[in-house]
Amino acid sequence: MIVEFSTWLRYFLFRKSRKELDDEIQFHLEQLIAAKKTAGISEPEARRQALIEFGSVDAARERCEQQRPGWWAGIAAQDFRYVLRGTLHNPIYSIAVVVTLMLGIGSCSAVFTVVDKILFRPLPYGDTGRLVSVGLVAPIEPQEFMLGGSYYEWQDNQKPFVAMTSETGVEPCDLTELNAIRLDCANVENNFLPTLGVTPVVGRNFLPSEDRPNAPKVALISYALWRTRFNRDPTIAGKIIRIDGNATEIVGVLPQNFEMPRLQAADVLLPESLDVAAQRRADPGRPLWAFARLKAGVTPEQAKAQLEPLFEYSLRLAPAPFRKEVHYAVRPLRDRQFHDVHRVAWILLGLVMAVLLIACANVASLLTARGAGRQHETAVRIALGASRLRLLQVAILESLVLAATGVLAALLLAEGLLHVFVAIAPDGMPFLSAAKIDTRVLVFTLSIGLLFTFAFGLMNGLSRTPASVLTSHSRLGMRRARLRQVLVTAQIAASLVLLAGGALLTRSFWNLQRQNLGMNDENVVTATLSLGQTAYPTPERQMAFYEQLQHNLRWGPGVNALALSDSLPPGGYHHDQIFASLRIEGQPRYTSGTGGNVAWRWVTPEYFRTLNIPLIEGSGFTDNELASANRYVVISRSLAERMFPGQDSVGRQVHLASGAPADQDPPYTVVGVAGDVKNGGLAAGEEPEYYRLRRNRPEDWDRGAVVLVKSGLPAASEERWMREQVAALDPTLPIEQGTLQERIAKLADQPRFEMLLVGYFACIGLVLAIIGLYGVTSFLMVQRKPEVGIRMALGASKGDIVRMVLASAMRMVLPGTIAGLTLALGMSQTLSSVLFKVGAHDAATFCGSTMLLIAVTVVASLIPAIAATQVDPITTLRID
Amino acid sequence: MPTPTDLLQGTLDLLILQTLALEPMHGWGIAQRIQQVSCAVLQVSQGSLYPALYRLEYKGWIKSEWGNSESNRRAKFYKLTAAGRKQLEAERASWDRLSTAIGLILGNTVEVPS
Repeated sequence: MIVEFSTWLRYFLFRKSRKELDDEIQFHLEQLIAAKKTAGISEPEARRQALIEFGSVDAARERCEQQRPGWWAGIAAQDFRYVLRGTLHNPIYSIAVVVTLMLGIGSCSAVFTVVDKILFRPLPYGDTGRLVSVGLVAPIEPQEFMLGGSYYEWQDNQKPFVAMTSETGVEPCDLTELNAIRLDCANVENNFLPTLGVTPVVGRNFLPSEDRPNAPKVALISYALWRTRFNRDPTIAGKIIRIDGNATEIVGVLPQNFEMPRLQAADVLLPESLDVAAQRRADPGRPLWAFARLKAGVTPEQAKAQLEPLFEYSLRLAPAPFRKEVHYAVRPLRDRQFHDVHRVAWILLGLVMAVLLIACANVASLLTARGAGRQHETAVRIALGASRLRLLQVAILESLVLAATGVLAALLLAEGLLHVFVAIAPDGMPFLSAAKIDTRVLVFTLSIGLLFTFAFGLMNGLSRTPASVLTSHSRLGMRRARLRQVLVTAQIAASLVLLAGGALLTRSFWNLQRQNLGMNDENVVTATLSLGQTAYPTPERQMAFYEQLQHNLRWGPGVNALALSDSLPPGGYHHDQIFASLRIEGQPRYTSGTGGNVAWRWVTPEYFRTLNIPLIEGSGFTDNELASANRYVVISRSLAERMFPGQDSVGRQVHLASGAPADQDPPYTVVGVAGDVKNGGLAAGEEPEYYRLRRNRPEDWDRGAVVLVKSGLPAASEERWMREQVAALDPTLPIEQGTLQERIAKLADQPRFEMLLVGYFACIGLVLAIIGLYGVTSFLMVQRKPEVGIRMALGASKGDIVRMVLASAMRMVLPGTIAGLTLALGMSQTLSSVLFKVGAHDAATFCGSTMLLIAVTVVASLIPAIAATQVDPITTLRID
Repeated sequence: MPTPTDLLQGTLDLLILQTLALEPMHGWGIAQRIQQVSCAVLQVSQGSLYPALYRLEYKGWIKSEWGNSESNRRAKFYKLTAAGRKQLEAERASWDRLSTAIGLILGNTVEVPS
């Protein structure tokens, strides 16, 4: 073994001298001649016969050389040098291929990583495919919810589920011990964890007996809380902690990856402890959110059909105005979690597939063009004795070099893109920050690279190059040229679709940013506060805190106006009620349906001045109303027009909770009409709105408030000062700060994300189409070089040649543009739901995109056209 | 007409090793010896002889050195190494196994009445 290996190594490193073999062959020949001479053949004849008998000395020499251990490596090294030289010699082709691969594979990998986290993320529950979200849907709450009055009826009588469970939401709670902290407490039914298929890592789940009103308090804590607060104490079960002042027994610890099905943050799980009997009687009952596990083999659609009778039951409970607008839904939990981002994810996946296809077509077209351009060279190599295998080897090596560079660049691009995606992604895209290029993506990228290598290597290596290339004009490749032209046409069509989509979204975003919000968001600093349950248990205490805070802030530096409200326009949370529950004193209720939603907020008098919302009628809230025992309201212009068409509204009395018992539906006096303010998010329509006054009465206050300051100072110093003032009153109080403009910008995150993504892909598509067009045009020019030479020799001017090349490029561009326009017009309809104040068939956008595309393609084909005019007719004619 | 190496890949290696097992010999001599011993049935073409010799030498089974031929001319002599001897044993054994197997099959077909 050792002897054999050392021999192998010796000959691998050092080759035998060539003379040694020559001498040996010479000796052999002499012996052969001598033998023939002995047989009586004359010397010259013997030599002749011997040489014939021996055959080609060169072939023997070559075959001997092939036996050498290092022979293969030597050949490979030689090929590699050759390929590298060829690649560097023709940089435009090589760069075009590498860039195409980089853009195609890199974008694909980055987008796949992102989409994977959204569409294909494993949920931390058992057998997640069978988990569904169940409930009613209504315009006021488009995601499924349930009501206590119906839920238990559904739970008892449902057929399609193994189990059905509920949660009643997450609220802030305080761990009132040494080093008190604010936590998020989720309230869940006792069968919540078993239904989801989750088992506590320590301790046990709630018992049914613990999920009743006035049962002893128990809690399950999150893994993170267990780790940070309790140092992973394995004997934690049975320990008593105080939550909001109540002694609570910890019965278990949740798994590390546990999350609420609606993705709320939760540190503690508490039993929801609803009074089931009371809820069954209640109308409508407490809102809650229901989840269920399907029986094996039942689809969500079947489940929905089976729940029909129960829905009928709930419908009978619903107030008459709601009946027409309430529906019900059963859908996979994953769909509910990604309600908003599902569409984005699929759009992305579609875009990236389009780009990848364009990229593949490009590379194919570039490489075959290159192969065709080198036909002459290949034919020479064959004539000099290169074997098919050797040519194939070179072709594969060449695509391997390109693919390796391309894949490497692609991975770098993907990594960079991912950072960009994470940076610009809206808050609503969960888990994006956890997205990383993982092994699957790597394998995916590498396998595309390998696939590419072999597909195109083989394609080029196996294409037959007849020796006739050397002697005549060849029509070879014209058939494949047709295919390439079709590919380029398709690319142009696809990139026009992308371009038009990108332009539409950009215009839409532009409109979104420039719209009139109905208020002035400049120099407004906000701070959101939420008082703790323990420190501020009563409305009196809450009001006292906010009164003191207002007093301390009122005359502070730079404070031009100060207001407190409980929510802020133009988007995000605000109170909502149906129009039918409003009533003008002395008039009957509105009876045809719900009448749509009406938004409302609690505000202090200076709210309108702070946000610069004009008061169109009346004087609004003043200090008189602040101290009054009566109730006052300011309504928006659209609400005034609806309730008091053509009449004065100031001074009128309205009821805001009609349908409720009389003692809960006091009259409010309208003291003003305010201008309409955008309140349904940036893109959605405006709802009519009214404002209730937070008087100096505890009943008007609760734990939460947003402090608004119209500031004359830079935002940062105003914010710091406000933070100090809050901390002076209560250092433990969490505070969330930001300017109003920052809040509004955040609302635009999702459209911005969509615009940038589609825009990015439009650019990539355009770049790839240009590369493709350029590649094919230059390829055609190589093919037609002799023809150009003849034309010029016969007196064609440079202009004629450029015109000829441009015309042939336009034969690809124009059909592509027409096809692209048709496709784009057909497909832009799918974007219409995300477009803001721009039509899906906006003429300016489509014209602009088309012009841009045509302009760019003309430039892309001008370069090879001008190169073609540099051809010296004599040289091209002499080749043949 | 098929050459011997075409008939069975690797057979030539075996023949060369066997020939060299008797005494060191030059390429010409090996070709002549094989031809003689096989009663001119096996003709080794020069085109395959020398690549085979080089292959065996690269594998370390034979060694070459320059010496004087019978006619007192400088010639390259090949000689079996220890590793080559072992290889010869192995190849002989596998050849015997193969030829026995083929013989069995051919023997069986003969017995089938036609």
